[in-house]
Amino acid sequence: MGRSRTAARPVIAAIVLTATLLASIVVTVTIGAADLSVADVWGSIGAHLGLGPSPVDALRDGIVWELRLPRILTAACVGAGLALAGAVMQAITRNQLADPYLLGLSSGASLGAVSVLLLGVAVLLPVAAFAGALAALAVTLGLAGALGRITPTRTVLAGVAVSALAGAITSFVIFWTVTGDSYRQILGWLLGSLSGARWEAVGIAGVALLIIGVPLALSGRVLDAFAFGDTTAASLGVPVQGARWMLLIATALLTGAMVSVSGSIGFVGLVLPHAVRLVIGPGHRALLPLSALVGAVFLVWADTLARSLFDPRELPVGIVTALIGAPVFALLLARRRSEA
Amino acid sequence: MSAASGPLEVRGVTVRAGTITLVEQASFDAPAGALTALLGPNGAGKSTLLRAVAGVERPASGSVTAGDDLLALPRRERARRVAFVEQESQTELPLTVRAVVGLGRAPYESVLGGRDPDAADAVDEAMRVAGVAGFALRDVTTLSGGERQRVMLARALAQRPGILILDEPTNHLDIAAQLEVLELLTDLARGGTTVLAALHDLGLAAAHADNVVVLSHGRVVASGATPSTLTPALVHDVFGVEASFVPNPLTGRPLLATRRPAPGSRPGATPPGPSGTV
Amino acid sequence: MPRLRLAAAASAALALALTGCAASAAPATTPSAAGAVTVSNCGTPVTFDAAPQRVVTIKSTSTEMLLALGLGDRIVGTAFPDGPVPAEWADAARDVPTISDFMPSEEAVLELEPDLVYSGWESAFSADGAGERSELASLGVNSYVQPAACRSAQVPGKLSFDEIFREIDEVAAIFRVDDADLIAQQKQQLDAIVPDDRGLTALWYSSGTDTPYVGAGIGAPELVLETAGLTNIARDIDMTWTSMGWESIVEADPDVIVLIDADWNTAQSKIDLLESNPATARLSAVRDKRYLVLPFASSEAGVRTVSAAASLVDQLKELRIG
Repeated sequence: MGRSRTAARPVIAAIVLTATLLASIVVTVTIGAADLSVADVWGSIGAHLGLGPSPVDALRDGIVWELRLPRILTAACVGAGLALAGAVMQAITRNQLADPYLLGLSSGASLGAVSVLLLGVAVLLPVAAFAGALAALAVTLGLAGALGRITPTRTVLAGVAVSALAGAITSFVIFWTVTGDSYRQILGWLLGSLSGARWEAVGIAGVALLIIGVPLALSGRVLDAFAFGDTTAASLGVPVQGARWMLLIATALLTGAMVSVSGSIGFVGLVLPHAVRLVIGPGHRALLPLSALVGAVFLVWADTLARSLFDPRELPVGIVTALIGAPVFALLLARRRSEA
Repeated sequence: MSAASGPLEVRGVTVRAGTITLVEQASFDAPAGALTALLGPNGAGKSTLLRAVAGVERPASGSVTAGDDLLALPRRERARRVAFVEQESQTELPLTVRAVVGLGRAPYESVLGGRDPDAADAVDEAMRVAGVAGFALRDVTTLSGGERQRVMLARALAQRPGILILDEPTNHLDIAAQLEVLELLTDLARGGTTVLAALHDLGLAAAHADNVVVLSHGRVVASGATPSTLTPALVHDVFGVEASFVPNPLTGRPLLATRRPAPGSRPGATPPGPSGTV
Repeated sequence: MPRLRLAAAASAALALALTGCAASAAPATTPSAAGAVTVSNCGTPVTFDAAPQRVVTIKSTSTEMLLALGLGDRIVGTAFPDGPVPAEWADAARDVPTISDFMPSEEAVLELEPDLVYSGWESAFSADGAGERSELASLGVNSYVQPAACRSAQVPGKLSFDEIFREIDEVAAIFRVDDADLIAQQKQQLDAIVPDDRGLTALWYSSGTDTPYVGAGIGAPELVLETAGLTNIARDIDMTWTSMGWESIVEADPDVIVLIDADWNTAQSKIDLLESNPATARLSAVRDKRYLVLPFASSEAGVRTVSAAASLVDQLKELRIG
């Protein structure tokens, strides 16, 4: 009966998506503005992995190993993290329009980034962005807590208020200080960009994904239990308040880490979970890991387009994610309706 | 289903919300293998007491034991012993019926969702017992109220609990579905499960429950075997109506007949003392 | 949502700056019978019945144009300077009051009762800045944009020194002054430039860390590089400036890097970045520290374009390559 079908589908999907992700990385690392053959690219990567000498000169080797590969791996981690964080945020807040940035995280991170880019605060950009995201989260939760018991609605409302405030301060700083073309960096940052991603970014995003993302991706059962309300969740052995706090904070930390290396890339966290839901159903046990995989594949390709479509010019990847993602999502919705 | 936990013993349970006492010093027994009905007018504190007994809400004081101290058990351990079905379980998440029933296995999985080897069997059995196997793949948000209630009952059964607690399981159901649910609960009790259900329909309770616990203004005013406890005098005192029990010509079980009391006598308006009725 | 608002704020800033850079070929001035001068400026006809006496300048290009024409005494206020005025005009600039370090508001401009607002960027003429051109006109205030910075009226063509000299002529005609000496001096300086003949390639690195913002194929940066005998690695892009990915830059491996120096984005900060990034640290120009530095104010088309090219040639002489 249906059981085998419903149980097998997510597993097959996970295998297919993992293979697709690996294949995407293998293929996209050979695509770029610089004219490098597939053999050169993989020879260069092989050399860094200790498999013989690099077939290309130091500059081309640098293009592959210092620019392309870390950027692609960062894209995979950030895509996975954002899609996962979006799916969890939509579940905890029971809000279809929730995205990973809902609790003021992107505005907070932007404020941190602006402090570095425009005010010259002397810390590393990712550190400032992460600190900004965490500060926004703390204010959001503090505000929600001050209103009484932390509920999804209160948390979202507090997040909206904090976003507005941090956004206003950021806009103020931009208007007050922008000279020459220094606004360009902050614009790229606000739209989301992976062009600055180096190995440090891979480290930040990768570690966050491993330590926070993996447990979060396995928390689907808890989110399913939440779907019928706090009482039912509690009767199933879920520590309701504690679990909600943990999930919120874990999601926020994951998002903060991703924002700190890539800026606020839109669309991935908001729409990809819906797209995955349309295909495999709403159960969070399958939805969370599959969203992460789809997010990784999606962002790897979106960023590849961003850096190669108008070579040698580059687009902020946030523009590409929306340009590709919105029509794809519309197609999925239309297909869903014609099936129903 | 699972091994009986022994009688459920509730002692001195008090629940407060801020400074207001919702349930005060509630004590009663719910015997193993029996259907115990929790009765009382609206606002008497039935839901609050059930939530406290089920461990969903922590009481200010009191104990709930069934062999062990249930309130002291770890949450997941308790969820394997006690299942709770809420009065209304709405969701916007369009899960399949089977997936919803599968949630009942959550207390048996490792924290990060590790596999539970008995899941498939427990879910199949629970769906069969609750009569929802026929629409296992339907979207739960498209079900009628009665169907959804049975799905939530199946979810509770998948927990394989020794103690099953239900809050108004017949609410919003048509009469046939009400009888179906009560017969199902009776059967579960006969199978050894301790079943405690809040009911607002005294007639259904009189006809089906083995025991009753009567709550008024947050206090237990009577408890015991149904025929000896649910007397016309008690119904008059607690619910403010004149009552009489006659044999149901179709089943032979007690049938409750009621009418409004004569003008001037309003006994239900004042809280009766705990000594009143048994 | 707030994020969108941020993006909107930034894109307003973007619009502000994008319009700042372009070349154009506006028609020549048309002196009328009554002695009035009418020009078509970025598609807007502007008539000067008499030479402007009270001018507010916005951006360094406009200020320096007037200083070079000996019209410093007509400037009643200046705003949004890109950097210090060069030594040759420093005396004349000393008495010019700066009304704002950023884009001035319309009120701050009108308070000075100017008869002309002269901007180096077209975007200055907006409600957010010094006011819409039509609104200024209705108040009897003329507006003028450095023609090379026009973007709204036509797609800019490739900038040439002839166009720069024509623009100087146009401003001189508006102010009824003789620019023959200035033009002669500029042409003389230009003729004296001996382009570097080593066939070197160059990156014009203006700003940006993640995606550098570089001088492209049609504007002042390209003209300056060409004049100095350098081949711009971004010359195939038909824009004045463009963003260019690091990968393309590393692949091109330019022989020299021209760094634009501004208070808000110093040449040194760009050197630090180039040397700290493992991929760019391997660039030939970075390994051998073959950097050329130009002040930001000389990177926009105007009276400093010739001297920018001359400066590059001088700096190139110091570089030993190969």
